Amino acid sequence: MRIVVGIKWVPNTQAVRFDPKTGTLIRTGVPAIVNPHDLPAAELALRLKDEYGGEVIVLTMAPPPAVQGLEHILGMGADRAVLLTDRAFAGADTLATSYVIAQGIRKIEEEWGPVDLAVFGQETIDSSTAHIGAQVASWLGWPYIYYVKKAWLQDGRLRVVRQLESAVEEFEVSTPAVVSVAMKALKARPVRLSYKLRAKLENPITVWTNKDLGLDPRCVGLKGSPTIVSKVTYLPEVPRKKIVYKPKDPRDAARWILAQLFSDEKTREALYKALWGGA
Amino acid sequence: MVRVDCSKLCPEWPCEQPDEFKHVWVIAEATEEGVSEASLQMLTPALEIARKLDSKVVGVLLGYNVSRHADTLIKHGADEVIVVDDIMLSEYYPEVYGQVVVDLARKYKPEVILIAATMRGREMGPYIANTLRAGITADCTDFDVDEKTRDVLLIRPPFAAIMLAYIKTPFRRPQIGTARPNVFPVPPADESRRGEIKFEKTSILTARSKLISRKILKREEIPIEKAEIIVSGGKGVGGPDGFKLLEELASILGGVVAGSRKAVDAGWISHERQVGQTGKSVKPILYIAVGISGAAQHMIGVREATRIVAINIDPEAPIFNQADYGVVGDYKEIVEALIEELRRLKEAGPGAVEELIREYTQQAQAVGQG
Repeated sequence: MRIVVGIKWVPNTQAVRFDPKTGTLIRTGVPAIVNPHDLPAAELALRLKDEYGGEVIVLTMAPPPAVQGLEHILGMGADRAVLLTDRAFAGADTLATSYVIAQGIRKIEEEWGPVDLAVFGQETIDSSTAHIGAQVASWLGWPYIYYVKKAWLQDGRLRVVRQLESAVEEFEVSTPAVVSVAMKALKARPVRLSYKLRAKLENPITVWTNKDLGLDPRCVGLKGSPTIVSKVTYLPEVPRKKIVYKPKDPRDAARWILAQLFSDEKTREALYKALWGGA
Repeated sequence: MVRVDCSKLCPEWPCEQPDEFKHVWVIAEATEEGVSEASLQMLTPALEIARKLDSKVVGVLLGYNVSRHADTLIKHGADEVIVVDDIMLSEYYPEVYGQVVVDLARKYKPEVILIAATMRGREMGPYIANTLRAGITADCTDFDVDEKTRDVLLIRPPFAAIMLAYIKTPFRRPQIGTARPNVFPVPPADESRRGEIKFEKTSILTARSKLISRKILKREEIPIEKAEIIVSGGKGVGGPDGFKLLEELASILGGVVAGSRKAVDAGWISHERQVGQTGKSVKPILYIAVGISGAAQHMIGVREATRIVAINIDPEAPIFNQADYGVVGDYKEIVEALIEELRRLKEAGPGAVEELIREYTQQAQAVGQG
């Protein structure tokens, strides 16, 4: 199987802090990481390779520093990496991003042969749209499926198990296909030094700019993006009472909480209902 | 009116002017039992957008043996319903359902499409938008309309859960957005409402995927989005045993247990009980946050909670600045004491509450607000 894994090099949003004094985000020193939800996707691809052979190619569209992210996946055992990078790609929304990624997959097919599967993480931590998998499938005209926890081949066909809100489903999906892997579905294998060294020596990272892809500049980046962010505001703070109590002992803590909740008209009724079925 | 200069447009996109498009669509998920509540909820923003655009709300109902549910959409506010009732749609496959919506949208040209961001909605939505070469905005928490340009503002929290982005697609139609379940209420039903129901066919003959099996998961517990009282645990709870204690507290309060991302990552509670940006938004009357530090990514999920109680050992935890009532201390001891006090009160009856309140009235005044 030839499997492409798409990843995103993202700011670690968990490290972004809010400065209440200035009312701004503190972004300085926020490290970039491989989107954590992409790691189960890489793991799924590598397990399929372990089981059935073939190659795993990791792909991203990003400015050059994202090479570090590609190296991480190479360190997990991916065979090749492709960086799609060009100033013309900047400012892309998910439609323009997925267009470049889909064309990158087409070029991978020209260079190294047909791709059986494109695997993505369920969503990114910095924007959480969950768009890219379905959009790439739309550009390529491939079937696709989200929330996959397990994948294998049965009689030469792809089988997946996925979980929805209240059902577990097993599908047979004809390939080539796009699969998005559920968050936390699989624990990613660690990066191995030997793989990293090999990656350094063999330099398996291919860089394609728009000269290589030859895409119409009207279809990529800001120009190829139908959505426009017209403004950004901070979320207004929710008014809260903010009463903090330092209790004498646990019993005091418990009784104080309950006294507040029983004398608060917003919560009183719910508590009466919970304890005695009504007021 | 010519607003889009076709020579500037990506040739992969059909060149269309915004004024060729009309009506606000809601894509309805349905089974033989009925239209999903999440889809009915999308009628609330749809009706508001349609009012501002002086337009109509059209429900789009896909499936097999679902025609009789078209009325439900009308009663809850849709002016029209387009039904595609076909055996080909008896099983849901994202690119099949997506393609049916795409074909309908090419024929009718809706100005706006709203889709409930259920797991299937989040799967199907971007396929529909992309195939139409239209923009899509996921997980909107609000919508507004620029009445002059007829641009819909799709409002979503995009980054670090602190900021709101107002997104629009001034040169593309339809304008497509999704919203998570329970962000909007179901509009009240009016049994006397009548509306036109149109039947459409699909030209799709085969699916490239095949459902092999479906196992329905038993859900005996109330989903956290619907709970009135939630006891939620974070990293500070320390392990699965701590969650058993929270379970006990939730049970005596008739509530449910939820958790933060860190608790879910640690495997102490399932992802479907996760509150926050990558989990669910909840709106209980009472949210008891135990051992939760109060990161913005978590707090965005409890904005709609009526009251928040915080129990945390760290007096500097940001949660105390975002809660109504906070106590500093060891959560285990405090939760145990809460369980005991609640049992005692339950036994003693409502009369015992007066005494408790009297005991703490003066103290509360002494502590004050702020």
